[in-house]
Amino acid sequence: MSELAKDTPRPHWSFLSQNAMQLFYRLLAAFLICAVLSILSDSFLNLGNILNVLRQASLTFFIASGLTLVVLTAGLDLSVGANVALSACLAGMVIHQTGSPTLGILTGLLAGGAVGLMNGVMVTAMRIPSFIATYGMLWVLNGVTYWYMAGETIHGFPAGFRLIGSGYFLGLPIPVYLLLVFLAIGSLFAHRTVWGQEIYAIGANPVAARLSGIPVSRRLLLVYTVSGTMAGLASIIFLSRLNSAEADIGESLTLPAIAAVLIGGTSLFGGVGTIFGTFVGSLILTLVLNGMNLLSINANWQPLVTGIIVIIAVWLDMKTRRPAS
Amino acid sequence: MSDSAEITAAPPAPLLELRGISKQFPGVKALDDVSFAVYPGEVHMLLGENGAGKSSLMKILCGAYSADAGEVYYKGEKVDVSSTAEARKLGIAVIFQEFSLVPFLDIAQNIFLGREPKGRWPGIIDRRRILRDAKRVLDSIGFEIDPSVVVDTLGVAQQQMVEIAKAISQDARILVMDEPTAALSDREADLLFALIGRLKADGVAIVYISHRMAEVFAIGDRITVLRDGRRIDQLRPADVTPDHLVRMMVGRNVDMSYPRHFAERPGEVVLQVKGLSAATGISDIDIEVRRGEIVGLCGLVGSGRTEVARAIFGADPVSEGEIIFDGKPIAGEPDVAARRGIALIPESRKSEGLALLRSVGDNLVVAALNKLFPRRLYDPSDAQRTADGLIRQLRIATPSARQAVGLLSGGNQQKVVIGKWLAAGAKLFIFDEPTRGIDVGAKSEIFALIDRLVAEGAAALMISSEQIEICHVCDRAYVMRDGRIAGHLTRSELTEENIVRLGMHDE
Amino acid sequence: MSDAVVIGPIRAVRRLPGVAIVLVLLIGLFGTIAPGFLSAANLANVLVQSTILIMLALPMTLIIMTEGIDLSMGAVLTLTSLCVAIVSLATKSMLLGLGAAVLVGTLFGLANGWLVAIAKIPPFVATLATLGMAHGLSLIVSDGQSVVGIPHSVRDIYSAQLLGVPVPILMGVASYCIFHALLYHTRFGTYVFALGGNREALRYAGLSPNRLLIAVYAIGGMMAGVAGLLMTARMNSGHPTAGLGLEFDAIAAVAVGGTSFERGNGWLLGTVLGVLAVGVLRNGLNLVSLPSSVQVASVGLLVILAMFLDGLRSRA
Repeated sequence: MSELAKDTPRPHWSFLSQNAMQLFYRLLAAFLICAVLSILSDSFLNLGNILNVLRQASLTFFIASGLTLVVLTAGLDLSVGANVALSACLAGMVIHQTGSPTLGILTGLLAGGAVGLMNGVMVTAMRIPSFIATYGMLWVLNGVTYWYMAGETIHGFPAGFRLIGSGYFLGLPIPVYLLLVFLAIGSLFAHRTVWGQEIYAIGANPVAARLSGIPVSRRLLLVYTVSGTMAGLASIIFLSRLNSAEADIGESLTLPAIAAVLIGGTSLFGGVGTIFGTFVGSLILTLVLNGMNLLSINANWQPLVTGIIVIIAVWLDMKTRRPAS
Repeated sequence: MSDSAEITAAPPAPLLELRGISKQFPGVKALDDVSFAVYPGEVHMLLGENGAGKSSLMKILCGAYSADAGEVYYKGEKVDVSSTAEARKLGIAVIFQEFSLVPFLDIAQNIFLGREPKGRWPGIIDRRRILRDAKRVLDSIGFEIDPSVVVDTLGVAQQQMVEIAKAISQDARILVMDEPTAALSDREADLLFALIGRLKADGVAIVYISHRMAEVFAIGDRITVLRDGRRIDQLRPADVTPDHLVRMMVGRNVDMSYPRHFAERPGEVVLQVKGLSAATGISDIDIEVRRGEIVGLCGLVGSGRTEVARAIFGADPVSEGEIIFDGKPIAGEPDVAARRGIALIPESRKSEGLALLRSVGDNLVVAALNKLFPRRLYDPSDAQRTADGLIRQLRIATPSARQAVGLLSGGNQQKVVIGKWLAAGAKLFIFDEPTRGIDVGAKSEIFALIDRLVAEGAAALMISSEQIEICHVCDRAYVMRDGRIAGHLTRSELTEENIVRLGMHDE
Repeated sequence: MSDAVVIGPIRAVRRLPGVAIVLVLLIGLFGTIAPGFLSAANLANVLVQSTILIMLALPMTLIIMTEGIDLSMGAVLTLTSLCVAIVSLATKSMLLGLGAAVLVGTLFGLANGWLVAIAKIPPFVATLATLGMAHGLSLIVSDGQSVVGIPHSVRDIYSAQLLGVPVPILMGVASYCIFHALLYHTRFGTYVFALGGNREALRYAGLSPNRLLIAVYAIGGMMAGVAGLLMTARMNSGHPTAGLGLEFDAIAAVAVGGTSFERGNGWLLGTVLGVLAVGVLRNGLNLVSLPSSVQVASVGLLVILAMFLDGLRSRA
């Protein structure tokens, strides 16, 4: 032991257990919020409300889970909200024109993925910092969507399609099943595939990752494409749930998605974070917003509260996690 | 100076004197009881190999480091130089190789940054006066240039002049220059030497770190030779020959011996580099490495050794030439090289070799992911087993594979970097300064490891600034100078003197 | 004084190509295809409409020079515009309205600066969060409704003329002059160059980079407050989403204007030309009856293109 002590000046702590602690704190926070809300509001513990929270959280989670991969590589995708809007409008239009939900779903996923791929190309081949590239993309997408929709609203979709967002199966909303499926897929991808490992390595130190033989550019392309495709998936759920598509549906989605990722413990500096953490982050954010709703606080407060939560989350993360290196 | 005729005996009052300075870093004694004095109006050359302690001494001079032991005297009085601000107050200024200039301000604004002359209104700069003052400072060092020229448009030599002007404008009496001619052309260097002559005449003391023999004899008034953190000698250029100086710098370190089992006959050619050039400043490189060999790649820092390694590994684009590995040409990004079986153990372990916040285990398997999990499904317990095996095999001192690698000592971190390429099954290992910042015990372990690797059929190309290591460990070596191969030394020719001679400028 | 202007022209000549060519091309393009584009009334209109953007783009130039960004500017402008509307409605005083707007804007700027300089939160995320906060506050104070019935003293600012020149143009010119003096002739301006170019140099000179950085962001917030007055005057009301997204036009103008996102290389005149380029682009597209959505998309492409070229230039 004395031999080892020489090499480890600081107390031994393993990274896994530190991550576990971080996750534990977040789950604790979620439970505390639940406890407070159930005291403050009679309708919180109502089954309908809880299912509603889960459904809301799943929408945030779909966008945030793809975004988590981007943030794990120390990047950011500011275009996710605008991507959801464009994909939803395109998918809605295709369903209306062809009457085929399958084609619509494919269109939404493909459009989302294509936007993500373009983000990836800007970040890798054109070497534009991800913040600026995706920020420019946000406005390009906004413009294209508004132009395409020309102020119209598409609504009224086949009943089968509407089941995706608003249907129930064995008493649970279908989005909740999708949430569980994608939570599992995302976690497996991040923790049980070589790609996932490579993404963590890139985020932790991109130079070392490249010099360890990881094809960094190709992996970044993959990550941005996945993020875009997840936005495309979210657009389908939105479309099905709202039963309508409008150009402005993405405007209030980006900040909550980023908030969910950061609350979930994914570091803005890359290499640290989990998909499950993002799920917990989505849950916490939704609980807070739902609680405000139940306590009859005007929805106008939501952006303000979300902004404050983002700052607190980043600040806590930097205070508790980053040891001097 | 009034006593300039009296050179034999040192002038009576040194401007600055360091006595018995020692500085310890984890695992390395950077300075050991070094005494050093500078007198007004002299150029004091500081000589030594990489890692001899020059930069540590310089940093103590300018207050960036504080010494563990020893005293500093300024004009005979004991002073405490524990911060750069105090050093500045004493008139000590350092011209670093990386400049402290702001690129898009003009020369005058840079010289007086933070000390701008006040104009009529608060906060407004008196433009005419700052230009006039700057012109005066520039004139005083004989630098003919318009002070309103933006610094970004200047060449390296001119930027250096601006740095010097900035120091002079702060009444610096002691100027420390770290290899100031490293990036200069001969003509620019001559201008700098002329300036140094003028500064000397004004009584400024200059501490000058150099690798170029010719400069030492051209401008030096006195020479201090450092080796392994100790002062070997202090002498005057007239009393010494270049050969003698080289021997002093290299020294003899009798208790250093590394185990090496030289192969009877080297195996087939593994790596063949033909006429390799790259935009990073290397040209026309020819190198051959055979199975079972350790081939040295030496030369001064900045001679292009690292750039050659990076070009072979695909980390920098190649502009010309061919790299043949295992009989087939190779080109592309590092992932291609890694898949083919080339490993690069980079010089800066912490920034390029490891993800410090990740665990030892994660770092050990990162290069072997494709090999361990060909179906691309990652199994943590498999990875853990591989990591544990390597930790045992390499005797990496860590409480577990889950420990963050940043918490390990330098030697153990280096073992992790080597270990990840063992796991990947590399056939050619390119080591860039594998023993930098590692203590003696860990060094011989690393060398034993490299020896075992090549004995088992791998090949190694090893960059090192420690000539003694190259001599003990390598089968043969290439010496680089100014981005080119300056010569090749066979086992029998491989001596420290030969390496230094081939690698030095102006020989 | 003759010495003082030496730097300007040298830089101008060196950089003139990019943004000036873009501007000339755009003017040429819309001069041919857009009827009435070159009329004096329309050109004056472009200038007047560009003033709000100038007031945001000038401080944005300083912020970007420090390798930062302020995404909250449009939302803060919206909030300060509401402050002008609400306070002037309550007190009937334009000056009190302006005072409140400048105060609120400066507070947001200080918050941004604190988050970036002291809390060390990356500027993109810090100002995205304050964007949300400012947007939320706008919705809260206005309850999501327009604030109408503001006094004449506010409204008249946008339409008034002084010596035959519209007051907004005068305000834009004055802002440029102040920022020009600030950046090129004061100690503070010198240090802004150093914040992006070489922060170490500031520390060596015994100056506090953090305080300077906070000041730069605070100036951004303050200018958003001043621009809020113009915004309210122009709309003749306060509206909770009026200025959202304007920060993007400001960033576009700065990027197109040749200010680099690295190494502290800023050029205010380029920013002004960039603002005009964005203004001409929007105005021209409008004249050829393309909807504002196309304008937004083309500004987005403009930024991506400018950033790509900036990256190429800094690598060259």
